[in-house]
Amino acid sequence: MENLGRRKFLTSAVLGTATTVVGATALGSLAPETAFADDKWMLEPDAVDPDFAEGRITGIQGSMLMVTGSDRTFHRIQVTGGTSIWKLRNTTFDEAEVGDGLYARGARMPDGVLAADAIWLNIVNLQTHIVAINRDVLHLDHHGHRIVGHVVSGTTAAVYNGTPAISDLSLLQVGKHAQVIGAWRPDTNEVDIATVYAAAA
Amino acid sequence: MASPPVEVMAPTTAEASWFCCGPAFGPCGTAGGGACGTCKSASLHCAWPNTSDACFDITRPDKCGDDLLRRTCGHQFFVKHLCGTTEIAVTIRDCGPQTDLWCGERRCCGGNCATNRLIDFTPAAFTRLGSLSAGIIPVSIRS
Repeated sequence: MENLGRRKFLTSAVLGTATTVVGATALGSLAPETAFADDKWMLEPDAVDPDFAEGRITGIQGSMLMVTGSDRTFHRIQVTGGTSIWKLRNTTFDEAEVGDGLYARGARMPDGVLAADAIWLNIVNLQTHIVAINRDVLHLDHHGHRIVGHVVSGTTAAVYNGTPAISDLSLLQVGKHAQVIGAWRPDTNEVDIATVYAAAA
Repeated sequence: MASPPVEVMAPTTAEASWFCCGPAFGPCGTAGGGACGTCKSASLHCAWPNTSDACFDITRPDKCGDDLLRRTCGHQFFVKHLCGTTEIAVTIRDCGPQTDLWCGERRCCGGNCATNRLIDFTPAAFTRLGSLSAGIIPVSIRS
């Protein structure tokens, strides 16, 4: 779909009626690589992507998130029935809380609202070294800062050498590097671990 | 025999992850502007393992058999998910990833595979290609 057409569709979808808000993802597959697979994108090298937002939630009004970017930019982000939401795992809008950090991808409406295709709440991607392993906790060094990584039963998975994810973390080793995808606990140095990538010995 | 230098004038493939830079929330808040000084999570930026001698000494893609050409701050690549059709232009604004930590790691999609981490994207760039929660995706790269 042409980008302009997509915006016009989303504008009418989001702003049309209060009871028939449809998802940005009604345009196609839920898979991000196909949801956004409609064009080539080239911006000025240092331009901010207009269809992306980063920041922390400062207010929630109905299905609209008020977000203050880390660069102080203010965003209004419209969540629809088709918006995919991640917070440690795929979840629903009611998990969003004031204070959460987020990244959002969607389509910017003429009124400045970002109609969200996908929102990732508190997501972090940390390149770390494992300092210690305790019961249900990994102590991690992230560029000289200590991070406490919580293992979440039924959710946390490990990927060793690119093989399929498994729940067995026993191959993790103190002193080794690990990449952690997880959900930050706001205003702490703690994360809940979704996936830990490591090189098995 | 050593692999020929990856000119990436013709497409090559690689694993890609994402990193934050510039103003950011949480543990990302200390990331700063990257090796080029102007990296921003909300821009279509990337990290490349051979932006300088100092960068190469850290990332060491050669240890994985990848002889990457020197590409410095401001160079643009065109990248695409191996299972996607969207191609985006990304600009080098940082040094990375640390390729040698992950030698031999492989990601496949639709029967096509990519080996070794040769590029990282900002969240804005990564989300034009895939989901942040995927962590790592296979991509093609060309100049």
